[in-house]
Amino acid sequence: MTTTNITLSKLTLRTLLWLPCCLAAWHFNAYYLAAICGELVHLFVNWLLPDIVTSVEQTGTTLAFVTTLKVQLQPKQAGLLIPEVNTLLYTYGLAFFIALMLAVSSKGWQILVGIIVLLLFQSWGVSFDLLAQIGIRLGPDVATQAGILDWHREAIALSYQMGSLIFPTLIPIILWVSFNQRLIRGLTTKFASIKNVFALVYKPQ
Amino acid sequence: MLRFLIFFTVILILLFTAELTQPVQNAIILPWTEALALTSASLITLFDSNVAAFGKILHSTTNGFAVSIEAGCNGIEAAIVLIAAIFAFPAPWKNRILGIIAGLLALQSLNIIRVISLFYLGQWNQQAFEWAHLYIWQALIMLDALIVWLIWIRMLPTLESACDAVQSQTIKQ
Repeated sequence: MTTTNITLSKLTLRTLLWLPCCLAAWHFNAYYLAAICGELVHLFVNWLLPDIVTSVEQTGTTLAFVTTLKVQLQPKQAGLLIPEVNTLLYTYGLAFFIALMLAVSSKGWQILVGIIVLLLFQSWGVSFDLLAQIGIRLGPDVATQAGILDWHREAIALSYQMGSLIFPTLIPIILWVSFNQRLIRGLTTKFASIKNVFALVYKPQ
Repeated sequence: MLRFLIFFTVILILLFTAELTQPVQNAIILPWTEALALTSASLITLFDSNVAAFGKILHSTTNGFAVSIEAGCNGIEAAIVLIAAIFAFPAPWKNRILGIIAGLLALQSLNIIRVISLFYLGQWNQQAFEWAHLYIWQALIMLDALIVWLIWIRMLPTLESACDAVQSQTIKQ
């Protein structure tokens, strides 16, 4: 089965059939994905806000980021801020991507490259969830300690919304389309020909 | 393909940023979400009268269970992705407009099924609700957008109709 001769109904049906298996596989491997995301987020956030995150602790698929930021618990009692992020909310797109790729019998290396790219975007989602907590949800005191300015907050809010609402399901589709350009071209051949016809007929003399 | 991806990304970011602004939220997103809750409630009352919609909240009058339709569940994000994909793809404007109208209908129809199914799943089992809400339906809605886009591409004018159009143009001239 090549990717160019699959029908859209077959593509839909196969994706729907693969999706439960891929979701199960993702769920059982989500711990390892969370661990990789944790390391990437640690690097990325410390690059954006140097020395804010000192370590990452993992409980199942939840990452806890130990920061140098202080919060006032009671008068004369302060503690270090340790925001938590549930990585499942950002990594489930992996199951969707693999289901789409298996539906068109893609090559192993394509799936592997896709997983690596997805991990970067998933780390984006986790990073901006953490930054949204530090910069927006936990109040101005924490944001000021972290050196987050007003316009930073706007950028964090947009990046967080992109990372949580759009990227988890859109990036798998963009990757799938990129790896299956022949299929898309197969669908568009006729339309491309129209452009050629018009180009020939209305060619300036 | 690169040109398409660049246009797609630019349009997507513009539409998504616009969606997050307060005027767009007040003028389009909130009324749309409330209409979605009302439509879902109206459809549910065809077979279950114990439901009411208050704003963007769908509420069971028997057990008090309620779902609030929030960002990510109103189908707006998938609609934005589809609109960006259709606009970024080289096609006649007429086909683009028709594609967007038909595509939005297809997306929102499935989204109403999502809202209704989640409303009942939540009353049955919280864990099933969480899974369906956070992972399964998100993927299915985006799969719907992808399939609608691929169908739209396949339905763009054929070579034969283009030749006919060219011939009729030539005869007129």
